[in-house]
Amino acid sequence: MTTAAPVRPLENAHDRTLAGRAADGDVRAFEVLVRRYGPLMRAYAVRILQSNDESDDVLQESFIVAWRQLPDLDDGGVVKSWLMRIVSRKCLDRIRARREHVDIDDVQPAAPASQSPPRLAEVHSTYDALGVALRTLPENQRECWVLREIAEYSYEDIGEAIGVPASTVRGLLARARKNLIHQMEVWR
Amino acid sequence: MTNPQDPATPASDRAVLALEPGDLSGHTIDELSDYLDAGRLPANPSIDQSASCQLALDALARLREVARTLLDVDVRNAPAADDNWVHRILDNIGLEARAGRDIPLRHPAPSAELVLTEGAVRGIIRTAGDSIDGILIGRCRFSGDVSVPGEPISVSVEASAVWGKPIMAAADRVRQAIHRELQTHTELNVTDIDVTVHDIHMADDAEADDQAGVR
Repeated sequence: MTTAAPVRPLENAHDRTLAGRAADGDVRAFEVLVRRYGPLMRAYAVRILQSNDESDDVLQESFIVAWRQLPDLDDGGVVKSWLMRIVSRKCLDRIRARREHVDIDDVQPAAPASQSPPRLAEVHSTYDALGVALRTLPENQRECWVLREIAEYSYEDIGEAIGVPASTVRGLLARARKNLIHQMEVWR
Repeated sequence: MTNPQDPATPASDRAVLALEPGDLSGHTIDELSDYLDAGRLPANPSIDQSASCQLALDALARLREVARTLLDVDVRNAPAADDNWVHRILDNIGLEARAGRDIPLRHPAPSAELVLTEGAVRGIIRTAGDSIDGILIGRCRFSGDVSVPGEPISVSVEASAVWGKPIMAAADRVRQAIHRELQTHTELNVTDIDVTVHDIHMADDAEADDQAGVR
C-alpha cells in the first residue's frame, strides 16, 4: 500500500461486516466472531452433550466448518444463527455416534429421580435448581429434553438422532418434564 | 410450599404437583405441553376449567421460561473467552488464505508470469476502504472474469458507516480510494465500483478520538 492505513478495530463491527470480511479471508474479523459467539456455542454444546471434552471438540470442528463455508453464506447478518446451526448439527452427530459405539444396555443408567434427591441446600437460584434437576434425570430423558427445549428439534429429528420412534421421544419428554417440574416445584 | 433450605426432608416426602392423568382431569402432561406450545389455542374448556391442569400448565410454562434463559446464564457464569482460548481455536483451524482466482499482471519479460491472487486484491480493497474515516468494509464481490486480462470488471463492496457522518460523501471517498489503489496495484479494467452502506455502527474509542480531534 502507498499509505499506512490505520488498522480499524473490529470489536464493535456488525455481524454482517465481520462475516463478509471473514468470507473474504480477513482472519481478524473471524477472530472477533469467535470471541463474540464462541462462548454461547460452547455453552450450548455443554448443555446438549453434557461433556466438556466433547464440547471443546465440537466447538473446534464447528469453527473449522464455519471458516470453510463462510464464503457461501449470503447474508452475513444471520451469522449468529448460522453458527448455532453448525454447532447444533455437530452435537447431533456426536449423539448419533454415541449410539453407534455404545452398547444399548449401557445407555439407560440412572436411578429414578426420586432416589437421588438433589442437594437442595446448595441450590441458589431457579437456574441452579434446573441444572441440578437435569443431572438427576435418566440419560435418555435428559437428552430428549435438551434436544427439544434448548436445541428446539422436532420429535422426529430427536427420534432419528437417538434411534427411537418419535412416539417414544414423546413419552420420554413427558417423563422428563414431570421429573423436572417435581424437583423445581419442591424448590420453589 | 416447602422450605427449600431444609435438606433433611427427602424430595419424595414433599407436597408436589400431581401430574398423572388421574390428577389432571384425564389429560396428560404430553397433551398439556402441546397445548402450551400451541399458545393454549384453540381453547380447550376441559383444560381451561380444570384447576389442576392450570397448575400443571403454569409449572410447564415456568420450566420453559427457565430453560430459555439457561444458555444465557451459562454464558454469563462461564469464564470469558480469553486470548488463549480464542487463539487455541484459531491455531487449530489453520486459517488457509482464501487465495481465489489468479489475477494476471503483465511483466516486461514475456516469459515471466506474474499474478496477484483474488484474495490479495480483496485485501487491497478492504484496506483502501477502511482508510476512509468512519468506514468499515464488509463483503467484496467482483463481477466479470478477473483472470482474463482486460475483461471489464465491476466491484461491489458492502460497508458500514459510523453514526453521525454524511454517508454519501463517505461512500464517494471509498469509491475513489478503492479506484486509486486498484489502479496502482492491479491491471484490472474496473468499470464500476458500487458501494452499499448496509449498516451504521457506533464509533469505537479510536474513531471517537479521531472525531474529537484527539491525537
